[in-house]
Amino acid sequence: MVLTTHLIADRYAATRAATAPQAGSGLGASLGNAALDFAATLQRSEQTAMASMTSDADPHALVQALAQTELAVETAVTIRNKVVEAYQEILRMPV
Amino acid sequence: MTDFSDALNVATSGMRAQAARLRYVSENIANTDTPGYHRKMVSFEAEVDAGRASGAVTTGPLRLDQSPLETIYDPAHPLADANGNYDGSNVNLLLEIADAREAQRSYEANLKMFDQIRQMQQGLMDLLRK
Repeated sequence: MVLTTHLIADRYAATRAATAPQAGSGLGASLGNAALDFAATLQRSEQTAMASMTSDADPHALVQALAQTELAVETAVTIRNKVVEAYQEILRMPV
Repeated sequence: MTDFSDALNVATSGMRAQAARLRYVSENIANTDTPGYHRKMVSFEAEVDAGRASGAVTTGPLRLDQSPLETIYDPAHPLADANGNYDGSNVNLLLEIADAREAQRSYEANLKMFDQIRQMQQGLMDLLRK
């Protein structure tokens, strides 16, 4: 019995090592890049909007920046919803 | 970044170029009666970004129409010469109106492209929603 418990514990440890997140590679890195890209787009649009309010900036640039930001935010929110949904699906898994 | 944002950029450059063209047209129309005024003409060029064409359009250097100015007979005019003639502008209103209408149509086309690109990108993201 004790032997079986040890075996299970060993197996668990082995599985855990295999599923551990890898830092700085794969999905994490690409998601991080996407987030940085998103932040840069947001910042650019903020600057353009401020410039067009305070000075006589090109309205085309403003519309373009806002449209791009709208799409970026929509993309980010959709992906976040999808990730949260997947996480909840895992949580609901019968153990 | 992506094709979508590049396409948005190109459509925006088209709208900007047509807006510049419309500005020159309105300058010409405003100066129809200005003596000695040469009609302004705008040229479009493919935008070059860091040595390679970006696909966008930009307005080139301003050129003046060198066709002869209209001679107007008006002895009472301060600029009139010994024969009572003076040089008016070489703006042809019919040409300017046609040019303005063409700028409007091109602008609308670019606007439509902008909207379509946005809709396509939105449609793609809608796939991820339930």
